[in-house]
Amino acid sequence: MATIKIPEQKVILCGEYGVGKSSIFRRFTNNTFVTATDRKSTLGLDHYSKTYHVGDRDLKLQLWDTGGMERVASITSSYYKFAEAAVLVFALDNPASFHILSQHLLDIVTYAENAKIFLCGNKSDLLSDVPQITDTEIEAFCEQCHNLITGTYKTSCKTGEGVEEMFNDIASQLVQSNRSRLELQSMEQHGFKITPSEETTEDSCLC
Amino acid sequence: MDEEYDAIVLGTGLKECILSGMLSVSGKKVLHVDRNKYYGGESASICPLEELFSKFGAPAPDDSYGRGRDWNVDLIPKFLMANGQLVKLLIHTGVTRYLEFKSVEGSYVYKGGKISKVPVDQKEALASDLMGMFEKRRFRNFLIYVQDFQQEDPKTWKDFDPTTADMQALYDKFGLDKNTQDFTGHALALYRDDDYLKRPALETIKRIKLYSDSLARYGKSPYLYPMYGLGELPQGFARLSAIYGGTYMLDKPIDEIVIGEGGKVVGVRSGNEIAKCKQVYCDPTYVPDRVRKKGRVVRCICLMDHPIANTKDALSTQIIIPQKQVGRNSDIYVSVVSYTHQVAAKGWFIAMVSTTVETENPENEIKPGLELLGPVRQKFTSVSDYYEPTDEGLQSQIFISQSYDATTHFETTCLDVLDIFKRGTGEEFDFSKIKHELGDEEQ
Repeated sequence: MATIKIPEQKVILCGEYGVGKSSIFRRFTNNTFVTATDRKSTLGLDHYSKTYHVGDRDLKLQLWDTGGMERVASITSSYYKFAEAAVLVFALDNPASFHILSQHLLDIVTYAENAKIFLCGNKSDLLSDVPQITDTEIEAFCEQCHNLITGTYKTSCKTGEGVEEMFNDIASQLVQSNRSRLELQSMEQHGFKITPSEETTEDSCLC
Repeated sequence: MDEEYDAIVLGTGLKECILSGMLSVSGKKVLHVDRNKYYGGESASICPLEELFSKFGAPAPDDSYGRGRDWNVDLIPKFLMANGQLVKLLIHTGVTRYLEFKSVEGSYVYKGGKISKVPVDQKEALASDLMGMFEKRRFRNFLIYVQDFQQEDPKTWKDFDPTTADMQALYDKFGLDKNTQDFTGHALALYRDDDYLKRPALETIKRIKLYSDSLARYGKSPYLYPMYGLGELPQGFARLSAIYGGTYMLDKPIDEIVIGEGGKVVGVRSGNEIAKCKQVYCDPTYVPDRVRKKGRVVRCICLMDHPIANTKDALSTQIIIPQKQVGRNSDIYVSVVSYTHQVAAKGWFIAMVSTTVETENPENEIKPGLELLGPVRQKFTSVSDYYEPTDEGLQSQIFISQSYDATTHFETTCLDVLDIFKRGTGEEFDFSKIKHELGDEEQ
């Protein structure tokens, strides 16, 4: 189990239904965009890993989507477990999705205590001349959260603007904060994944 | 809710969540509802600790228990056999990706008032204090026979037909004494009572093989336990179901299961809403008039600040007290997990003692188990009825799971699930439908 491999970090998407979490996920996985009516295209795929190069380090971001479970407010607590980062997503054209963020933030700090939290305003392409949510409001929110928010971003999944930049930045933030911890981490503190047994012809021996 | 579904699943216990996942994966449109605010029903792990104390009507825990949020206490104690059905289901469905496990450190059996490590290989058998010198040799020969046994190859049966001859005959063939039979049947083959002695030996041989194959996978013991408690298991399968299009609703009371022509289910009503469906899958608590009581199980949750004596300070362990040792008809099980599994605050252990109820005084029945634990800081005892469906559900299309029994592992749980799936869909679950689709795509 002590193989040298690129460290992998679980990153989860959080936020209201319809703010574009699956769109961000889809941009991350295959850099495409589909309209809302075609939601089924992510069926069966729930997380995806991608390698980022940060200076002399490689880091794998493993991004997780909710699978639509937040629609009726029933995300499992295990979704949050082992998360190293959480992206709190709201839609820039939807003030309600912004004002409810504190609720989602509470879930994150409850179930994923150690996760770094990032704020993402999506649908920047829909911004009119008069923004629905101003930068001042975003700053105020971050302050209210006692600086729990490590970074803020604006993205448009429709145009693709800002998405890759966001993940690059998240990767470098994680490398920085994990530099020492990754090195100290010992296997004993962790469980393991169960995997299919290798089909050996050799019988396990009882005697 | 006012839509039409292929199947509505009621309750988010482990069995229902596995079924929901399997049905969604098979392309069925599934609505999964629970009357509780949380996932897992009886198979939930209770968090925080305050919740557990209030559930049993005890005053709030003091500061010595650490942070309440660090606790995840199972209500039903079980381990996974490393090579068992549930592990196969986890691997084939890809749900294993949501979980991390630890090996249970030791497996012990009770004899004459003290506990001994369950011997599983030649070295341990020869060093074990469970048997005398000559018995050890006989037991070793028996283990070799079981290990070499291949069902497809009658040559390995060695003039003994295990498909017709019973297990008692096989024990006699090797001249094993009653004590050895006792720990073989109960601690290796994991039988709850002695009925197996009169059944064909093949069944027992397979069970012992499962034990040794499981042991071979991760060492130490054949058992695995998930980080953050067993409650993670139903949640993992719920997520599988959602990923494949299943709709989830928690905190939704179910007022009626609507029956149509010919006694067949047509929907489920909650308040004024009716969701239509062709089938219902549920646990016994949703259909009290369609289940019968089969027995009772007593379970005692014990919070301790020390490991169990004579287990080499194991952070997790299982102890089996075979029925005969304490003059009973069914075994008593003790399982221990601890802070290392993120189910208790630093330094704390959770021991569970359970058995099938045989008398009017269940609490007294688990005493031999409790006596092994040493000082216990807090104890919560519960006795629950154990239900089974009154029919197979083919007419009503209501498929009901059995309550969780007293066994310490998930083999019976999985058999029930696979059987329900077969009754409901008319086919065996096709693992190949999902096996690779969920694979970790890499760039």
